[in-house]
Amino acid sequence: MASSDLRRRIPEIAGLVLLAGFIAFPLIYRGANYDYVMHILITSFFYAILASSWSMLAGYAGQFSFGHMAFMGIGAYTTGLFSHYFYLTGAPTELCREYQFGDVWFVIVNPIGVTSSSLTQDCLRQAMTLWQGSVSVTPMPVWLGILLGTLAGGLAGLLIGLLVLRLRVAYLALFTLGFSEIVKAIISAEINITRGQAGLELPALYDKGITLFGVYFDRMAKIPPYYTMLALLLVCLGLLTWLARSRFGLFVRALREDEDAAAALGVNTTRYKVLVFTITTAIAAAAGAVQAHYIQIITPNLLFLLQMSLIVAMAVIGGVENIFAAAIGAILLQIALEMLRTSFVIGGVTVDMTVWRLVFFGILLMVTLRFFRNGLIAPLIGYFHRGDVAAETVAKRQTSPAAGETP
Amino acid sequence: MIQLKVSNLNKHFGGLHVLKGVSFEVNGPELIGLIGPNGAGKTTLTNILDGAIKPSNGTVYLNRQRIDQLNSYEVARAGLGRTFQVTRSFRRMSVLENLYVPALALDFKGSKAQLRDKAMEVLEFLTIDHLRNEFAQALSGGQQKLLELGRLLMLDPDVIILDEPFAGVHPRLMEVIYAYIRRVNESGKAIIIISHQMDSIFSLSQRLLVLNFGDLIADGPPDEVKRNPAVIEAYLGSETEEA
Repeated sequence: MASSDLRRRIPEIAGLVLLAGFIAFPLIYRGANYDYVMHILITSFFYAILASSWSMLAGYAGQFSFGHMAFMGIGAYTTGLFSHYFYLTGAPTELCREYQFGDVWFVIVNPIGVTSSSLTQDCLRQAMTLWQGSVSVTPMPVWLGILLGTLAGGLAGLLIGLLVLRLRVAYLALFTLGFSEIVKAIISAEINITRGQAGLELPALYDKGITLFGVYFDRMAKIPPYYTMLALLLVCLGLLTWLARSRFGLFVRALREDEDAAAALGVNTTRYKVLVFTITTAIAAAAGAVQAHYIQIITPNLLFLLQMSLIVAMAVIGGVENIFAAAIGAILLQIALEMLRTSFVIGGVTVDMTVWRLVFFGILLMVTLRFFRNGLIAPLIGYFHRGDVAAETVAKRQTSPAAGETP
Repeated sequence: MIQLKVSNLNKHFGGLHVLKGVSFEVNGPELIGLIGPNGAGKTTLTNILDGAIKPSNGTVYLNRQRIDQLNSYEVARAGLGRTFQVTRSFRRMSVLENLYVPALALDFKGSKAQLRDKAMEVLEFLTIDHLRNEFAQALSGGQQKLLELGRLLMLDPDVIILDEPFAGVHPRLMEVIYAYIRRVNESGKAIIIISHQMDSIFSLSQRLLVLNFGDLIADGPPDEVKRNPAVIEAYLGSETEEA
């Protein structure tokens, strides 16, 4: 009994060891490529959040959405536009649209599109030129932008969830793919506001730097965003685990298995379908918002179909029906994809791995889909969690009419 | 007392008139057989009763609550449960989890341990307790039928519709299903059984409803229905005459 309990705990213990490794890594690693390695890990945590939330949506609830990156983009652009266009000033600009709250003016900057700031200045920059530093100009808090981005993504997810209630499988995938393309097209088209392919610049996560445990880190330091993204990943995994183990998780899995049967047993399938869309899209939007402030510039390319395919592939290779497997799959694949960037020479022929790595990635995906329906990591976790079920069934088998049947 | 009142139920699918003014009542813990040839409208009637589809007109009241415009989950919560003609277990969920779904959907108030005890009691009665942690997809067809019946016990509705409960079931499991039906009926539930297995239907039912091309052509005790000329012509044919 005790060994059975220990066996079931092996994945949790392995997870804690992995987590301890991630927590200690920035403090231990001293390589010359420190910033590069840290960047890869931060990005891998970002993908892990997307893959695990998509796993809840597609793997647990069976809602095969191709729009997850669109919600990530909505989160990123919401905080990007919020930080780009809204400021607090100590005096009225008398040039911008502005609202007074006591001694503070809430200023909405006019969009000037993709123009050189030396040729055209927005209303706030014109006012600042006149003020010559005599009036305080405060950007909006980054955390508020991230919060708004999360809410915007969740709201969009709620609306899309309501729209796709009657759509199943391929139709749902096509609908959400269409939605994603629409979001990308709007961002690309509204150059005046979003700056299109020129990219929208954002303040850094910690624009004025941050002091952690008595050590000051400037705005470009990797350690603060590393722990921020890791913390966000842990919060998301914690939330998703709690949901998966609650009646919510039970009901969305029933929804995946058979929506009509679940409804006939009293499950409000509409409610849970909309809820799972709202929650997972809000998580994707939160990841997008934080990542946007980390990389400090966003373009509509975030929403390329290839990016969505990458999330799907990461979740599928890890194991789409297990949020932890999907997250670990995303981290491992992101690291592997970076390691495979190094080109090499065979018999005088240079193999350009910047292209060929995607071929290897595609082959891995195809092999996984063909031979390992629930990915490469989820079955491992399942082995420890459910490995003794068959033995238990045999041990508890009784002489009964049903037991006489061969399952 | 349990009361299901179906009044003048009609259903059109395009030009097809699938149910033609079907009316009947279930009063108290009756055990009713619903029979009819293929295409008679049995499944359509079941789907309307459980809220999966809406009638073109007519009404359904369950315990004085109108249910014909409710969604499936609301009908289930109002007290009507069903099984499906083709078994629809949650295949990649464990047997226990299959049973937890209806109990929790109806806001089971007890502790986790109490929920598990209740589910285990159901599984023991259905003789599949040894499979509790297996995924439903590992169960045989007959065992999955039992699992569906178990889910209904957890839902605990007043009226139960069993759609082809004996189809493809091993004779030994049939005994378990018979025992299930009798026990549930004796506990005060009304049961409507849809089946093409005449022996089972006639031996179990206290009352028979016969549908033919959307018309309810007979409603009465099995012995009386057996002798009904319209039923003999439409459905039972010479086999019953021989019997």
